[in-house]
Amino acid sequence: MSSSNREPAIAFDLANRSVTGTVKFTFDGQELRAHEGDTIAAAILATGERCLRVTSRRSEPRGLFCGMGVCFDCLVQVDGRPNVQACRTTVTNGMRVETQHGAGVVEPGP
Amino acid sequence: MSDRRVIIVGAGPAGMSAALAMVRAGVRPLVIDDNPRPGGQIYRQPTPATQAVSTATKNPLVHEFLQQQDKFEWMVETTAWGIFPTRRLAITRHAQSDIVAAEHLLLAPGAYEYLPPFPGWTLPGVMTPGGAQSLVKSMGVMPGKRALVAGSGPFLLVVAEQLHRAGVEVPAVVEMAGTGEVWGALPRLLRHPRLLWEGAAYHRRLRRAGIPLLRGHVLIEARGAGEVREAVIAPCDENGNPDRGRTRTFAVDTICAGYGFVPRVQLAQMAGCRLLFVDAIGGWVPLVNDELETSATGVWVAGDGGGVAGALVAELEGALSGHAICRRLGAIDQGSYDRLCKPIQRQLARLAKFRAVLDRVFRIRPGLTTLADANTIVCRCEELARSEVEAGVAVGGTDLPTLKVMTRLGMGPCQGLMCWPATARLIAERTGRSVEAVGPWSPRPPIMPVTLGALIDNRPLLGENDTVKRDGITSR
Repeated sequence: MSSSNREPAIAFDLANRSVTGTVKFTFDGQELRAHEGDTIAAAILATGERCLRVTSRRSEPRGLFCGMGVCFDCLVQVDGRPNVQACRTTVTNGMRVETQHGAGVVEPGP
Repeated sequence: MSDRRVIIVGAGPAGMSAALAMVRAGVRPLVIDDNPRPGGQIYRQPTPATQAVSTATKNPLVHEFLQQQDKFEWMVETTAWGIFPTRRLAITRHAQSDIVAAEHLLLAPGAYEYLPPFPGWTLPGVMTPGGAQSLVKSMGVMPGKRALVAGSGPFLLVVAEQLHRAGVEVPAVVEMAGTGEVWGALPRLLRHPRLLWEGAAYHRRLRRAGIPLLRGHVLIEARGAGEVREAVIAPCDENGNPDRGRTRTFAVDTICAGYGFVPRVQLAQMAGCRLLFVDAIGGWVPLVNDELETSATGVWVAGDGGGVAGALVAELEGALSGHAICRRLGAIDQGSYDRLCKPIQRQLARLAKFRAVLDRVFRIRPGLTTLADANTIVCRCEELARSEVEAGVAVGGTDLPTLKVMTRLGMGPCQGLMCWPATARLIAERTGRSVEAVGPWSPRPPIMPVTLGALIDNRPLLGENDTVKRDGITSR
C-alpha cells in the first residue's frame, strides 16, 4: 500500500488518555473514560485491558484484531445487546459495555 | 426500492475520486460507505477529539470530497451486504434496510490485510498493522507498550514508524523478504525516484529511531497466557521456510503482523463478474477491460478491491472509471473522455511496472503455510484447528465451498474473509494443486451480518448529507 498517507501529529498525553477523557462508560462494571469519537475497542485498549470476548468452543480470550470491521473478533455486549463490533462502534456517555462470553446474552428490553 | 443512475460502494481513494469525476460532469452518484467519515482505511480521518489536537493538514482528496458533498447523495455507516440481479444492491444502515438499483454500479470496497495462521495468532495483543495504525492515527491510542512489527511489505515500515512516534517501543521490524532480494530489485525501481525516495525516507526514520529491520526473517509464534507476552522469530529461506534451530524471542505485549492485502471481491462475485487469479495483487480479482468495467455490464471495479496496488493507483482508477461511466451515460463526449483518460492510463501503466517489482519482492511465500501446527486455529470464527480442516480436506473437501459445508469453515460472522485465503493455500499444499486450481470462495448474501429486525424494517433509505457536518469534520 502506498506510504503517501498523511498522519496527524498526535498531541495527546497518551499514557493518561483514559483518565482525561470526557465520555464516561463502564466495562464489566468498572467506570472508564474515553475521548469523543473513540471506538469501544480503542477506549478499552487505552486502559491496558486487551480481552474483549471469550470464545464459545475453546473458551479462549480474543481482542482487537483487524481494527476495520472485517474479522468480527472484537465482539462485545453493549447495553444488553451481544455481537457489537468494538472496533466500529463509537463509545457514548453512559454506555454499558461487557465482555461477551460465547454467543452472548440478549437481555429483555425495558 | 428506488433507482439511481450511479451507485458507488466505498468512499476510499477510488470511490472518492470516482465521485468527484462524476460531479464535474454533472452526474449525481449515490456514494455509500460503512464508516462514519470518508477516506477509507488509507486516508482514515481522525476522530473529533483527535482532530482538535491534530496539526495535520487534511488529505486533499478527502477535503475536496467533503466540499463537494452537496453535489452527490451520500450515505455513511451504510453496509452493502448483497447484490441481486440486476445491479440491485442490498444495504443496511442503523437497523434499517433497503434495496437500491443502479444503471451503473461502481465497486470500490478496498482490501483487508492477509495474515496466515501461526501458533498464538488468536491471542489478544496480536493484531494487523492496519488495526494498530487506526488506533494510533485516528484516535491517539497506543495498542500496547512494546510491539513487534512483522510480515512483509512496505506498509510495515510505515506502521512501525507511526507506532514509534506515538511512544510505542518497537524492538524490531521483521520482514520475510531477504536483503539480497530487496537490493536486487532496486535498479528496476529507479525509474520512479519519488516513490523510491519515500521508501528510503521510511528506512532512514527507522534507523534514526534505532529500530532494526530484520530482513529474511519470519514470525513463527506468539506466546502468552490470556494475552501475548512473547514473539518468536526465525531466519527463513527464500521460500519463507523458517530455520527453527535459530529462533529469537522478543518480550512484547503487542504483535502487529501482516503479509499484504486481499481484495474484497465478494460483491463483484455476487454481481456475476468473472474472476481472474493474479497472485501478485492479492489472489482472485474481477476481470476488467481497460476502462475498468467487469464482465457484468454496468458493474465497474476500481481501487484495491480490483487488485491491490495502493492509494495512488486507486485514485487514478477511480477517476478513470468515473469518466468512463460519464461517457457511457452521455455526460461527456468521446473527445473529453480521451483527453481526461489517456494521461491516467499512461500513468497507471507506469505505476504497474513499479508495483510488479514490489509485488514480486514482497510476495506470499509457501513457507507461511507450514507455520500453523495441528492445534492452531485456522477459522477464527468457528474455532477450527488446522487438524480439523485437514481432516475435511482428506475426505473430499478439496475446494472451498465443499470444505465449508463439511466443516463449518467460513460460516461465522466474518463469512470466510479471514480464513479462506490461507485455507486455499493449505488445500493447494495438501492436494498438490495450484492455489488457482483450488478455486475461489463462494460468498452468499448476507456477506456482513444483518439483523432480522433490519430486514423487516425495509424502507427507502435516503442520503444523509448532513451527517458529516454534524461530526464537525467539515470545518476548515
